[in-house]
Amino acid sequence: MSGRDSLGEFEHIIVLALLRLEDRAYGVTVRQEIESRTRREVSIGAVYATLERLETKGYVKSHRGDPTPERGGRSKRFFRITVKGLAAVNRTQRALQSMSEGLELIRSYS
Amino acid sequence: MTSPAPPRLAVWLVALFAAGREAESLLGDMLEEFSLLASKSGVAFARSWYWRQTRKTITHLAGNAFRVAPGLIAATVIGGLLLHRLVSGLPERAIFAVLHRYQVFDHHFSTYVFFASDGIALGHVIASMLVGCVVAWAAKDREMVATMTIGFVLCAMTGAAVWAWVATGETFFLGALPWYFADWFAIVMGGAMVRSHRSAGTILSSNG
Repeated sequence: MSGRDSLGEFEHIIVLALLRLEDRAYGVTVRQEIESRTRREVSIGAVYATLERLETKGYVKSHRGDPTPERGGRSKRFFRITVKGLAAVNRTQRALQSMSEGLELIRSYS
Repeated sequence: MTSPAPPRLAVWLVALFAAGREAESLLGDMLEEFSLLASKSGVAFARSWYWRQTRKTITHLAGNAFRVAPGLIAATVIGGLLLHRLVSGLPERAIFAVLHRYQVFDHHFSTYVFFASDGIALGHVIASMLVGCVVAWAAKDREMVATMTIGFVLCAMTGAAVWAWVATGETFFLGALPWYFADWFAIVMGGAMVRSHRSAGTILSSNG
């Protein structure tokens, strides 16, 4: 496994948000999902920049929805995780679990 | 009753930095959240949120442009700096050629003085704007990052030159500084013009 195959912290969070949202994942829902779960303010630019990077790596793919009037006639861009992306998130999860195994992080540092 | 609109300047700024196809969905997302916030927490709160998002979004998009296309940005910036160097002497030569050709010095001295001072400075600004347009044309979808980088590099070079002049005790004409600023600003404006033109084209083509 090379370093390129693993996900960065924010990439990891975004991919997990896509998995949670399934077919409802677009800019607004991804941003809100991350904000509500991590309690940190996230910019839409950060979400798009990361999704763009993940799409370039082949971990995510996107398609356009229909334009809607409440969005000023602009369409939504829906994102979905690919098989390659799923493999990357599994690898990252396993690596994190393996590194934290045996450490009582919550009790020690909270 | 019309629904509240986000700050137009902020919308324009995001559209300048967002790459072609991403601009539409990104601005749509921001408008959707703005409308939600405006109805829930008031227009003032929604506007302040929109500005905060704009500032952070522009920073991320600019950073992403450097990560995604470093070669393109570097090539356009170096090319732009060389082009700027190449064309910077042209307005002066062209204006003096015209002034001599029509013997303006002998017949209209005040006109001669204007063109030989402010005329040349204005020529520089126009030339810089054209450089900005050429750079933006070459840096497809990264227009603002490329032109702003050139502006920053020129700003840093001028700062270093002024510091060297002051340090060596040489005289420096402070009145020239606003024209230098105008040059850098003109390069960025050239980029903004090309970007706005391309965005309008994208919107027209996506509307069918």
